[in-house]
Amino acid sequence: MSKRALRLIGSRLIQVIPVLVLATFAIFSLLQLVPGDPAAVIAGETATAERIEQIRHMLGLDLPLWQQYLHWLGGAVRGDLSNSLITGLPVLDEVMRRLPNTLLIVICALLLSIAIGVPLGILAATNVDGRIDRIVTSIASLGVAVPNFWMGMILVGFFALKLGWFPTTGAVSIFQDPATALWHAALPACALALSGIAEITRQLRSSLIDVLSSQYVRTLHAKGLSQSKILWHHGLKNVSLTLLTVIGLVFNRTLGATVAIEAVFAIPGTGSLVVASATNKDFPVVQGVVFVLVLIVIFCNLLIDLLYSALDPRVNKR
Amino acid sequence: MDTSQPTPIVAVENAGVHFPIGHGQVLKAVDGVDLAVMPQETFGIIGESGSGKTTLGRAIICLEKPSIGRILHAGIDPYSLSARELRRHRRQYQIVFQDPNAALDPRMTILKSIREPMDVAGDLPDRDRRARAVELMERVGLSPDFANRYPHELSGGQKQRVCIARVLTLRPSLIVCDEAVSALDVSIQADILNLFAELQAEFGLTYIFITHNLGVVAHVSDRVAVMYLGRIVELGRTEDVVLHPAHPYTEALLSAEPVALPSQLRPDKRVVLKGELPSPISPPSGCRFRTRCRFAQPLCAAQEPPWRETAAGHWSACHFAGELPIMSAAELHPHKQRESASRLGVHHE
Amino acid sequence: MSIVTEGAARTRTVKKRRNRFLSWLISDKRAAVSLTFLVLLASLSLLAGFIAPYSPLEQSMDILVPPSALHLLGTDDLGRDVFSRLVHGGPMTLYASFLAVCIGTLIGLPIGVLAGYIGGWVDTAVSRMIDTILSCPSIVLAIAVTGALGIGLTNSMIAVGIVFSPGLARLIRVQTMIVKGELYVDAARTFGMTTTRVIFRHILPNAIQPVIVQITLLLATALLAEASLSFLGLGVQPPQPSWGQMLARAYSYMEIAPEQMYAPGLAILFTALAFNALGESLRSLLDPTRRRSD
Repeated sequence: MSKRALRLIGSRLIQVIPVLVLATFAIFSLLQLVPGDPAAVIAGETATAERIEQIRHMLGLDLPLWQQYLHWLGGAVRGDLSNSLITGLPVLDEVMRRLPNTLLIVICALLLSIAIGVPLGILAATNVDGRIDRIVTSIASLGVAVPNFWMGMILVGFFALKLGWFPTTGAVSIFQDPATALWHAALPACALALSGIAEITRQLRSSLIDVLSSQYVRTLHAKGLSQSKILWHHGLKNVSLTLLTVIGLVFNRTLGATVAIEAVFAIPGTGSLVVASATNKDFPVVQGVVFVLVLIVIFCNLLIDLLYSALDPRVNKR
Repeated sequence: MDTSQPTPIVAVENAGVHFPIGHGQVLKAVDGVDLAVMPQETFGIIGESGSGKTTLGRAIICLEKPSIGRILHAGIDPYSLSARELRRHRRQYQIVFQDPNAALDPRMTILKSIREPMDVAGDLPDRDRRARAVELMERVGLSPDFANRYPHELSGGQKQRVCIARVLTLRPSLIVCDEAVSALDVSIQADILNLFAELQAEFGLTYIFITHNLGVVAHVSDRVAVMYLGRIVELGRTEDVVLHPAHPYTEALLSAEPVALPSQLRPDKRVVLKGELPSPISPPSGCRFRTRCRFAQPLCAAQEPPWRETAAGHWSACHFAGELPIMSAAELHPHKQRESASRLGVHHE
Repeated sequence: MSIVTEGAARTRTVKKRRNRFLSWLISDKRAAVSLTFLVLLASLSLLAGFIAPYSPLEQSMDILVPPSALHLLGTDDLGRDVFSRLVHGGPMTLYASFLAVCIGTLIGLPIGVLAGYIGGWVDTAVSRMIDTILSCPSIVLAIAVTGALGIGLTNSMIAVGIVFSPGLARLIRVQTMIVKGELYVDAARTFGMTTTRVIFRHILPNAIQPVIVQITLLLATALLAEASLSFLGLGVQPPQPSWGQMLARAYSYMEIAPEQMYAPGLAILFTALAFNALGESLRSLLDPTRRRSD
């Protein structure tokens, strides 16, 4: 890798650090939001005073704030996200066990969104205000308004229960049996992909329209270049940057949207984990899941940032 | 200091305005300017874009804080005042901007915009403010029907009149006109300039006229300063500077003045400047103009030129001031000799 | 102008505003339809008690009955009338959406304006904080905060509001920075205007447009968030009706009574569509050059 590329990666990594630090602090402070005494709240209404003290000590709540934070941070850096209050098992293990299931459907959904959203966006932009465009735009508007878990329910009702083409629930690890894993992931990914398709279609359509109606492109037309040549060479190159940004956005949203989908399809993923632990006030687990997800998102944004710099010559000036 | 002289309404003392632009670099838009503007005179500042004249104008009315030196208003340093006193004090020092579109809040009616300074000051009762606003509207040539219109419904010239009316509501002592007519149609420019002249006589105003257009500045100013790359290179009474320039840059500006003659009759002696305006971030050493000056010598690169008075009240910054064969306006436009004085509209006392 | 003509002028302005509003509705069908729908929904919500034939909590022995004359949309697994529950779910939903958006605005707007206007290290610090909160998927963060605050409708919507605030702050920050650079703001300073007054008189009115559009669109997002959270059991708690919660129950009985899923889902869909459509129409409406004195 060239020296310049390394320097770029290095500088981006450094920029990420303050955000990471702030994020860890914010995650840690989650506990502080709890009204009243966190230990008592976690212990529950029927807990004895001893149990409350036990929890307080376990969570280190009897230490001063900054010590708690450093302790937590130190553990997090080493990979120790403390243990679940319910099961007593290490949080990181649990999260890591479930993460592949979540990532599988997220990545499938993302690929689907790109595969369908991009052609739709191009279709709409090249037929601006025509019938096709209006249809596509209406579908996109619907796509953002449909609750994705409802879509999941309908898909299950029709394709799984009625037609029996797909399983209704559960997930299989992709490492064990890729084919079955994908088969299980198909419907959830479809439900998840809906809003991603809508978002990508919309953004691509609007930025492509801007590019195609620019002075520069009109000059190319006048020079006699064919529509498709203009589209592929000039049009797409310029919107690829916007596309990259949108993909990052969609990834972030999809990662969050899995929460409801996992509930519909009974997938043991990080989404269902965070819901269960939030309901049960198992804060170490909640913090652990948020921490891992934040890391993933930051890493993704970094990747996109770097790709952005690679694609856009202007950004590399300094 | 000559105590028999009246206090200048604006005194710029070695003032500079520096903008840090990242990576440790500094843009010195204004870099060491000295000048004094007397009450009720019209002082012109001329320069090309990038000369720092707009920044200087903004600094004079406290929209930019001088990074070095100071700018006094009637002997007072505005930044020595408390925030509250400053807010009160600065009403006397106003500005009319180049772009009347951007200078008016698009969401406010004309009347509201004109009243705004008075509403802020809060000195007059509501009814009097309205009355004065309407009165000034008529004075600048706007029908009172415009009162409830919005800026986008007016033409450029009309909007500029609104800005002028707005500024007058506070009866300021000084008005900086920053390219105030440059964005307007040529036919309107004359009207607005005449308006300025009338208002000056009527209200006893002092103007600082900032422009790149030598024709305009020669027409309206008593004295003029020529700016280049953040510094003043020549300063003096308008007729002296225009008819007998002492600095090569002034000569070039004068020669570039378009002359209304068919080409075959135009025996131009054009002074064509070499090269381009250097970057203000790293100006040339010594005399900043040397990279484009046709008289440049090694001394010009080695030392900064002294600020010298070559004739009474006529200053320039050049090592060889007074010795150079700089063409006067008469020589630059010989066929217009008789007319040069009147075409350039130079003031005579 | 005399007092009489001033008063007349003011009445004319009010009439002009009303006419402008009406002409907007006539020209923009999408706005008219969505606004009508929302007004209808709001009225239904207010009159829920009168319109619903049954109490939403009233259980009966007729469980999972398909739509009939007695029960317009059938009954759920506890014999409760689905139609009544749907109607009573409306006010919950609207309240939830508005609460979340209000909280998001109350937190995000001042922070964004101050960051944009003051600039410097304040801006840098605020931007870092915004980046931080936005680096977590919103729903997950909302769930985490809800877990900390305690599950329930109000708490979950406060959490959603908190999650909305960075996006809004960022938006108004950019707008503030743009407006701050405008000449009329410089002019206001030369008149001796205080910073506070500049912000309220010039910055906010000119910066607020895209924010209003965004807030309207956020109502849809809040709605969907509430539906998700209630579906997951973190929002509206049973036995209170909520569209999301109704979907959850319907799902568990999907094999027996699949038609239960449609009513709440469609309700959510149409309301979200209406908010979105309104937001898009507002976007084209709010444009200062469209303001006329006529």
